[in-house]
Amino acid sequence: MRATVKDGLGVFHPQGFLDGVSGTAFLSIEDIEATLKLNVDMVLVSLKKVIFFNRNGLDPFIKLFQKVRSNNHLIVGFCDYDHKKYDTIMKFYKDELMFSLFKTHEIAALFTTSFKNKSKNLLIYSDDKSQRAAMAIELHDAGHNPIVAQTKKEFEEKAKNKELYDLIIEDTFLGQMGQKVATRVTGNAIIYTVSSFLDAEIGNTFNIAYHNNSLNVGFRLFIFDAYKVVSMNVHALNFFSKLASSAAEYNATICFVGMTFEKTPLTFKETLEDSGIMFFDQMDDILGDKELLKELGASSAAAIKNKRVLNKKIVTETSNFIEATVATIEMMTNSKAIKEAVKMNQIEIKEREDKIASSIGFYGDIDGMVILVFPQGIAKTACELLIGEKTDDQELILDTLAELVNIVGGKVKTLLSDEGISVDITLPRTYPNIESLFDVAEGKKGIQVDLKFNDDKFLFFLTR
Amino acid sequence: MITQEKIDSFIAKIPPSPKALRETIVALNAGELPKAARAAEQDRALSSYLKHLVNKPIYGFTREVEEISQIFGILGVARSQQAVYSYMLTLLSPDKWQLFKLNKNTFHDLQAELAVSWNKILKHLNINDKEIESAISLLPASIIVSEALFNEKIQDITLLRTTHDIDLNTILKRLCNMDLFDICERIAQKWEMDDKIAKIIQSASGIKPSEDEQINTLGKWMHLLLFFTLSKPQYIEAGLNDFIDFQIDFVADIYEEFATVMEIA
Repeated sequence: MRATVKDGLGVFHPQGFLDGVSGTAFLSIEDIEATLKLNVDMVLVSLKKVIFFNRNGLDPFIKLFQKVRSNNHLIVGFCDYDHKKYDTIMKFYKDELMFSLFKTHEIAALFTTSFKNKSKNLLIYSDDKSQRAAMAIELHDAGHNPIVAQTKKEFEEKAKNKELYDLIIEDTFLGQMGQKVATRVTGNAIIYTVSSFLDAEIGNTFNIAYHNNSLNVGFRLFIFDAYKVVSMNVHALNFFSKLASSAAEYNATICFVGMTFEKTPLTFKETLEDSGIMFFDQMDDILGDKELLKELGASSAAAIKNKRVLNKKIVTETSNFIEATVATIEMMTNSKAIKEAVKMNQIEIKEREDKIASSIGFYGDIDGMVILVFPQGIAKTACELLIGEKTDDQELILDTLAELVNIVGGKVKTLLSDEGISVDITLPRTYPNIESLFDVAEGKKGIQVDLKFNDDKFLFFLTR
Repeated sequence: MITQEKIDSFIAKIPPSPKALRETIVALNAGELPKAARAAEQDRALSSYLKHLVNKPIYGFTREVEEISQIFGILGVARSQQAVYSYMLTLLSPDKWQLFKLNKNTFHDLQAELAVSWNKILKHLNINDKEIESAISLLPASIIVSEALFNEKIQDITLLRTTHDIDLNTILKRLCNMDLFDICERIAQKWEMDDKIAKIIQSASGIKPSEDEQINTLGKWMHLLLFFTLSKPQYIEAGLNDFIDFQIDFVADIYEEFATVMEIA
């Protein structure tokens, strides 16, 4: 079974009846591992479409939860249930409840590091006092305004004024919460979450290969969400200074948000600022300021020192890349592709109007980047299949396009692995126009293939 | 892309075709069991299938049943008809399943489990209608058609599903403008079943409720039975559980009654 992944939540959706026989069949450790690769903050099982469950049906999930929690320090548990199901689970597990319960997945999302849901007015009630406090602290930390009802009566009174709250939280239980360096993308900025004590361990927990490849693909703004950082030592200081200087080569910006220097020497902040890191108090100071975001995220034709050239290994694999791209887009648009021209040079786009683009990087046994330039028309048609309806919303089209490129990336990965070549793929990056693409790709040498879908020209570019 | 013509060509492949089989069905439709048994005996594959089917533990016969006339006698007209429809499906079922991890055995089990439980439900609801009894065989039939359609695009579909959460039924709908239940309806027409069967099947989707109360109730029972059966490990592993979207609210009011009939603890 696959999980849906959104806002840092990986949610599995079993359907029907969960008993001792079926429980083990729904979810395997491989399913969970596949979800973990998508950098989630939480792994949850939704009970929305489960009409019947007994303890034997839930136990296999609990066993898997335990593994995930101890190995990956993630939040695990169930979500999307009614009061009756909540009561039943509480009765089943009473004192051994090590997992979390969220009445809805929207409530669960409030507890992730996702800042899309920031500043919500929330009414909280639990009959367990320490639960009430724990929820309030976590939600406050995540940037919300929790209001705690101390008694059931007070809760019912307050809950009458529904319009005062964005969400009302009850029938929710926090098991032990986990922490990790998470990755999340907002617009074209990548957000990493760091917490507690930053020391030499950051060198192990931070995914440097992922970061480097994100730089290579064209991401230019990296934000460290450091609200929960208690202190930083000299090893971590060195690590971040180095990270900042390597980012500078790409003209990229690294920011720290919410970091306090109560238990960290203030000189560290100066050192980090000298190496180019910027500090902000609130995430909204960056993400809410569209002008600043644009300025930091947009790359001005970066002076990349080591311009990389295509090597023979990648050139040999070109046909795989093209095949994957063409097959996916043919399926999505129901049209046939005709190859018009293949050349090896710098990227060249004759008609720049009404085009959008997306890129995805790959790294491992071979590394590089695929850029796809779509006419708006093809992009819209391709997106229709994924969204299920026609749309003119540019942001939605770009998001869906990113997903489409992700599919291409996945396909390339499969095709290459058939030949014994193992690669990982980065998150896709999108470009609303050709100018923004050229900020990243201009001057890069690569293989360009011009394709024609019906009457639309489509461009494929493979580079490093 | 999967076209309407392609779907029709798959459905067109659904029997009846062999003469003996056709005679069996005609005789069963006329309610002439001995004549049907004589016709069925001529088709060795059919008679062997019937013996294999009714001797499955789920049918609960203590002694092995061997004679076709005996089998039809025990089953009665409606259930015999249902068994013959099931056989027709096995003619169509693929040798090697690709998208759904099924094989001949698990597919037969699925047919048998759905059929036996459906009969139990109809008995509980006091419904004695051979067409309605046979309606349940349409679901496995459309699973076969869907498998065949999906096989055309298996890699793309697998990839699409790894990156985007769409149930297969929705993919089917978007790719060829027909979902599992529409395919059932098309097969019902092909088998010249009563109009109400198509309506029950559509109502069993849980998203297209019927205005006719009896049809809607049968739709609810069929929807819940489908998920009861598809929650068994072999069908979850086969990938059938998330084929369609379970409409839990649609069946909420019959759940208690269903649990009693199915003896769910």
